[in-house]
Amino acid sequence: MDVLSPKERLLRSLKKEKVDRHPIICPGGMMNAALVEIMQKTGHTLPEAHHVDSLMRELAFDVQANTGFENFGIPFCMTIEAEALGSPIDFGTLACEPKIKQEAYSSVKEVRFLPRGSMEKSSRVAAVVQSLHYLSEKYPDVPAIGSLTGPLSTAASIVDPMTFLKQLRREKEMAHKVLTYVCEQLIDYAQLMVDNGAAVISIADPTATGEILGPKMFQEYAVPYLNMIADAIHAMGVPVIIHICGEMAMVKPQIASLHGDAISVDAFVNLKQMKDEYHSLTTMGNLSTYLLEFSDPEVIYQQAKGLLKNNIDIIAPACGLSTSTKLANIHAFTTAIKEG
Amino acid sequence: MSKSAEELYEALADAVVDMDEDLVADLAKEAVAAGVDALAAIDQGLARGMERAGKLFEEEEYFVPELLMCSDAVNTGIDILKPHIKMDAAAEKHKVVVGVIEGDTHDIGKNLVKVMLNSANFDVIDAGRDVPPAVFVDTAIQEGASVIMIAALMTTTMDKIGDTIQLIKERGLAGKLRVVIGGAPISPAFAKKVEADAYSVNANAAVRIAREMLSC
Repeated sequence: MDVLSPKERLLRSLKKEKVDRHPIICPGGMMNAALVEIMQKTGHTLPEAHHVDSLMRELAFDVQANTGFENFGIPFCMTIEAEALGSPIDFGTLACEPKIKQEAYSSVKEVRFLPRGSMEKSSRVAAVVQSLHYLSEKYPDVPAIGSLTGPLSTAASIVDPMTFLKQLRREKEMAHKVLTYVCEQLIDYAQLMVDNGAAVISIADPTATGEILGPKMFQEYAVPYLNMIADAIHAMGVPVIIHICGEMAMVKPQIASLHGDAISVDAFVNLKQMKDEYHSLTTMGNLSTYLLEFSDPEVIYQQAKGLLKNNIDIIAPACGLSTSTKLANIHAFTTAIKEG
Repeated sequence: MSKSAEELYEALADAVVDMDEDLVADLAKEAVAAGVDALAAIDQGLARGMERAGKLFEEEEYFVPELLMCSDAVNTGIDILKPHIKMDAAAEKHKVVVGVIEGDTHDIGKNLVKVMLNSANFDVIDAGRDVPPAVFVDTAIQEGASVIMIAALMTTTMDKIGDTIQLIKERGLAGKLRVVIGGAPISPAFAKKVEADAYSVNANAAVRIAREMLSC
């Protein structure tokens, strides 16, 4: 029987305190569970829910109620930050996530630095913040997770990503300036989320992978800026989850130096091994989203039990979920974990 | 003493690997001034340098930023050498259509493939991201390309790859229009399942596969 509320369970897990059982969450943002099946059932649909706070919070509630994930995860995309910093967005469809229509700048040298406080002027930031406020007030036992796009991904969403990656070598000074600017804006946004009830902030930074950057650049560009944001959020009194995409054999030592309270990883990372190697790490993950989409409930149930057996601290999908994933598969996942 | 043609090719290749765009420009101008065969300078100098960069990428010495910079150096060299290619020597370039499958908006992998193919002197038609199956097929037909390279970065979108291959069959183009697939969630097993003609593990392998398919 559950003794702790989902919020207590998650927060205790992030502090490495004892819990009654493992929490199972889906933090939102890149990793959101706004499945087509849920939206068709409830009528609270994307892409409208990317804009309207009443729809956004309803959809976040629907996801939590229908999937069994023990949190509210907001928003449902990775474009809020870039939009607020100047990039136009294509909002996609019911089944397809929003994307950057065109990056605002073609080079780090062209970036216009908006003043602090610019994030709160975005209507979609307002929708996120109001949704968090509403849900955290109405359901105090369920953790509302504010999902943040990481610094490199945000920077590569306002500056043409191919040029940006080259400029990490060629225009180091300016690249660092842009990343510092992006971090300040992201911290402002995180502060708004925390002030309005976010119990946890989850950062996903799919551009900041070992596979794309290699270990040297990961050390130079990913670690310090992710840590700058994590430290600022800690100062607000809230824990931080950091999700790292892709294969990470190459950047394993750097992962241990990230200041996240939990590190969430992709499906092909051996979390058990990582846990054995770095005892201090709180691990999160990592049920394959491929399995969740294409496999059946029995297989998923068994895989989920495997995560429990390996004592993964916080159970979650490994990556972004397909919007066409069947609810029955998600149920098998959440049920397996909740049974203990 | 001025360099021989072979020495120039070698120096061009080295400059590409070293990501030294300025040096590539100087060497390309030197090649033009010396009357070296421009096409050979591209093929045996620039493209060979890119091949070596691709190998370093596979060996995890180079990563995406380095590869992009090498490719910039190649393009700089090509821009200088191209006007000097003797027309009769300039055989038609082989066309390849690249794109990210419908529903998917992650295009870094596709862009890398494009960069590598361009650097290997293919004519690359970029269909963009979020490309529906019919657009892939129509683009290839319009452009007269016989190879389509499809990237997927999300598990969400993988079934659309199968749809594209089905569409090719329905239109009676099986064998004429070949499909290469790749991307993080794609595996050789998946490629076999959807009956793709080939699976490419990375951007460098994509060039090898294109060369084999088009025998060039």
